[in-house]
Amino acid sequence: MKHDVIVLGGGVNGLGTARDCALRGLKVLLLERGDLAAGASGGNSGLIHGGPRYMLSGPKVTERACRDSGYIQRLAPHLLFRIPFLVPFTSRRERQSLWERAVAYATEVFFSTYDVYQPLKRGKPSVRLTAEELYRLEPGLRPGLHGAVTFDEWGIDAHRLCVLNALSAKGHGADVRTWTEAREVLREGGRAVGVSWVDRVTGERGEARAPLIFNATGAWSPAFARRQGATVKMRPGKGVHLVMDRRLSDYAVVCNAVDGRMMFVYPHQRESWIATTDDDFYGDPDDCEATADEVEYLLEGAASVFPSVRQARLTRAFWALRTTLHDYGPNEDALSREHELIDHAAEGAAGLFSFVGGKLASYRAQSEEVTDRILRELSRRPVACQTHEEPLPGGEAVADAAALAARHGVARAVAGRVVYRHGSLAGEVLRLCDDDPRLRLLVCREEGILAAEVVHCVRHELVRKLVDLRSRLKLAVGACGGLDCARVAAQLTARELGWDPERTRRELAELLEAGWRERRAVLSGAQLAQEELLRGAHWAVGA
Amino acid sequence: MLVVGGGLAGAVAALAARARGATVLLVRRSPGATALFGGAFGVAPDLDALPGDPLLGRRSPLESARRLAARRPSHPYAVLGVHDLDEALGFAGAQLSVLVEPADGRPRFLAHVSGGLAECGLCLHSQAAGDLRRVRGLAVVVGFSGHLGFDARLVAAGVGRLTSAGGPRSAAVEASFFTGPGDGALRPFDLARALEAPGAAEALGAAIRGVLPRGASVALLAPVLGINPAARVHARVEAAAGLPVAEVVSDPPSVPGLRLDATLLARLAGAGVEVLDGEVAAGGGPGRPVIVAGETVEAGAWVVATGRFIGGGLVRRDRMAEPLFGLPVIASETGAAGLTLAGRSPVSLTFRERTAAQPLLAAGVAVDPACRPLDEAGEPVHARLFVAGALIGGHEHAADQTGLGVAILSGWLAGRGAAGEAT
Repeated sequence: MKHDVIVLGGGVNGLGTARDCALRGLKVLLLERGDLAAGASGGNSGLIHGGPRYMLSGPKVTERACRDSGYIQRLAPHLLFRIPFLVPFTSRRERQSLWERAVAYATEVFFSTYDVYQPLKRGKPSVRLTAEELYRLEPGLRPGLHGAVTFDEWGIDAHRLCVLNALSAKGHGADVRTWTEAREVLREGGRAVGVSWVDRVTGERGEARAPLIFNATGAWSPAFARRQGATVKMRPGKGVHLVMDRRLSDYAVVCNAVDGRMMFVYPHQRESWIATTDDDFYGDPDDCEATADEVEYLLEGAASVFPSVRQARLTRAFWALRTTLHDYGPNEDALSREHELIDHAAEGAAGLFSFVGGKLASYRAQSEEVTDRILRELSRRPVACQTHEEPLPGGEAVADAAALAARHGVARAVAGRVVYRHGSLAGEVLRLCDDDPRLRLLVCREEGILAAEVVHCVRHELVRKLVDLRSRLKLAVGACGGLDCARVAAQLTARELGWDPERTRRELAELLEAGWRERRAVLSGAQLAQEELLRGAHWAVGA
Repeated sequence: MLVVGGGLAGAVAALAARARGATVLLVRRSPGATALFGGAFGVAPDLDALPGDPLLGRRSPLESARRLAARRPSHPYAVLGVHDLDEALGFAGAQLSVLVEPADGRPRFLAHVSGGLAECGLCLHSQAAGDLRRVRGLAVVVGFSGHLGFDARLVAAGVGRLTSAGGPRSAAVEASFFTGPGDGALRPFDLARALEAPGAAEALGAAIRGVLPRGASVALLAPVLGINPAARVHARVEAAAGLPVAEVVSDPPSVPGLRLDATLLARLAGAGVEVLDGEVAAGGGPGRPVIVAGETVEAGAWVVATGRFIGGGLVRRDRMAEPLFGLPVIASETGAAGLTLAGRSPVSLTFRERTAAQPLLAAGVAVDPACRPLDEAGEPVHARLFVAGALIGGHEHAADQTGLGVAILSGWLAGRGAAGEAT
């Protein structure tokens, strides 16, 4: 089958672009080598934030991110949650020095400038807090702080944002193939005309043809381009996040790492996260993991405002590579979060484009820009972009969790989680329980995942492997590591997808392996005991 | 003598000491890893067997343990020696005869809920009929039509992998059971309790009888046949089904684990071991008074069987420590001498492949052949201080399936040793 455009990469830029292209009537094929959102699109801070920090280097970045954050709230309101940030004023001595007071004042002015953008994303204006007010909001902060400034941001389940874009693209006619790796760009007379691919699940090989190929493979794009004799310059920056088993606080707190870098500790869904490192990464992106020194660096920074993080239970450390634009000289934090579309025509591959840089919060605007360009390259007449108005699946309305819980006979808290993940489609998920009461089996008590939701997900959310449920449902991602859920979810998925028992066992082993890689760097205290238990529970699964 | 820890190792130590005439006090904080036991006492799997090798020719647990010890000098089997393993297994089997089949020196092969297989040295009565080494003909795995927690097809396929090695043929069927409103959402413990009710086990047996294919020689069931042994769920189901019935091996939360825990407590009481629930204060030791669950206790000999991380025998918070005596902790999977690891990061002590033997998860204290913990210099910390079970380093059940065998052997050795020293 011939397509208008082949998108490589199932991250947020690839998926956003595939969706936009499909909405504008193009025939799209998207190839993703692993699961959706496997790279930076899933492994980020989970914030649709305006990036106040970038006001200094590029106010355009901030404005665009804020405007788009506002759009995302309209497209997928169920996925977003407000996170109030506190920026405490620290001091080296008991009383603030003149200089420190000046810094505090400058911070206050800085965030009142950011307030200009807040209405774009329904954010609340910043507030100056006295020390008493600060400690009333968050008594767990270390003593000796001199007040704070607040600002307002939105959290999001970034994995699900990507999944929803994929489902929408598919709904509008795009072919989305996960676990399918693009091998070579096919060329004819200096033009890219298609790609060869291999399905990593079935081993099937094939070719797809299109006059335009959009390479959005993130940290993998330099290597992919190099294989095609083209160049993508990038400064991949490794970002590691630490996750706690519960919320340390309902407020996000900005703090400084040992080297003065800004970082923060913040609530994200049921957990608290510590974000983040930013280090140039020269290694193989497939061989990237959190290291002991990154964990300690983040803990030390977080403990500088929240001493109790040292007692907290870390459940995992996840990582991803930012695809920052290349620039020789500046340190990592000073790099621009701008983006760039690279045309490889001059390298003998006309029709091949690569995307570098950008921000999660601006993915829609970035995709719109790319799609405009794709239409021009294909000499199509311009079609108006609708991605800022057309809701993502489930974003059409907000479902009433209490009513759904009562109607379908499930716990209120569980219905609430289903509504969070599926929005207005929650009723469709829970209706499965009416037809088959066995699907009320609670597979994960932590995330509130019913057997029905596993089945719904496998049927409707492009699931090809058991590990895909990690991103869709956070299955086996939490503190228990899949102790309770993994085997039952594997059985349910096997039933739906017709897996034989050997395949089921292999899928289960892969799911456990993925969790192990994220926990290995933080095994301590109760989490280490949990790991012993988990390994004991699953020894019979093997490799 | 004082035993700290009431899991399998601590219980065996207490019973072995009691059998030698010692007065024994056992203190336990809570059910530990033993309560999560899935039903199969892994002793030593035959490492040299290939999947297709005939089951009848497989090596005995003792021979497998001997071979393992020869290869891994820091494994407890190598340190303690395996000459007493059969005797220790026989002792444990006899002590727990209410629940456990007698040891016969041969390996047993049991189906696991995940579709895997468990090779073990001892098993429960309720599992014995499912020993794939002995079953002839057709093993039928029976699922509950009303409940998705147990996948008969998956288990049957696991059993089928042994058919070519002389195991039975396998098939999966579903019995119409647990189909009432809300039954589908029940947890393993709820299912087990429901089957204890009058008539429930008989009804399940009848349902099984109704769906069995011709020629079935054993019915394999989910490991939910009652928590309370007195309810005799297994025997009742078997009588009503009209053929031998066996539970497969569980993963946690495990009904057989609760049964084992209850059986251990009952046996300790029956043998005259005093059991206290509570903590042991720091600062005690053989011949030194210590506060145990609020009472002052002085014991001539101590057996510490506090487990690894699950039991709390080892704690890692910033650094690794054995909290009761501050014993040096080693992880010796990687080298004969053992690696001092107290301050090393978890990344440094693990491998990326989950299924590899992980030094961090095999951490523990080093012991001499008499189960006495060693100090940094390699000398026993105290002549009358013993350790048993998972607190001993150099093995990890998930990686080598020797955990229960080590618990029984070290418990037996430590208990006898402590009794000898205490009296």
